Amino acid sequence: MLVLSRQRDETIMIGDEIEITVVDIRGDKVRLGITAPRQIQVHRKEVYDAIRRENAEAAGVDVEDLNLARAQLRANRRRNEPGTSPDAGE
Amino acid sequence: MRIETSRFGALQIDGERVLEFPKGLLGFAEHTRYALLDAGDESYFWWLQSIESPQLAFVVTDPTLFVPTYRVPIHSDQCRELSIASPEQAQVFVIVNKRGHMLTGNLQGPLVVNVQRRVGQQLVLSDRRFTTRVPLVELPRPQLQAASA
Repeated sequence: MLVLSRQRDETIMIGDEIEITVVDIRGDKVRLGITAPRQIQVHRKEVYDAIRRENAEAAGVDVEDLNLARAQLRANRRRNEPGTSPDAGE
Repeated sequence: MRIETSRFGALQIDGERVLEFPKGLLGFAEHTRYALLDAGDESYFWWLQSIESPQLAFVVTDPTLFVPTYRVPIHSDQCRELSIASPEQAQVFVIVNKRGHMLTGNLQGPLVVNVQRRVGQQLVLSDRRFTTRVPLVELPRPQLQAASA
């Protein structure tokens, strides 16, 4: 990994189009300003990781879980329980 | 076409049910083609069954059935990639997971599908109101289900 030291208001360039500026430093928190072309998506890595992890876990949902859920939704709908019963749009 | 699945055995799939995710789903980049299968009589849930991998399938749902205020902002570049010209062409699904006795929806990583072109993409929302684990349905406890033990 390339490691660079930067001070407040200093910038690094990635390629010709991506700029990352140190906007503020307070204690152990650094605020970064990012300028990038719109087709480059910028996200906090933990969000990406959370979605990837969630996908991996979701691949383990089984048919029986879904049968239970459908039975529960039918029961909710019969009771017309607000809050837990989705509006099925019927 | 005929596909093999670990959950449902061999299935005959109408080509119209096949969705292409050119970038795959996050963590599953190599799996790009899925069949959208009905999961019963009510249209709460569908199975997104991998065509290439019999054991890989996800449960997906229409999130607005559970969270009516849910909206997904789609950037113009994503619209271009998915050939979406108007909102009616876009169908949003979220992947369903199980946490304890709750089915949850990943509202932070929705799937946006162009229903006419049958091409889709998993988005990453920066909006923190919607998490990866939004509760959808509480499952009945197993001890109350004589047949499920």
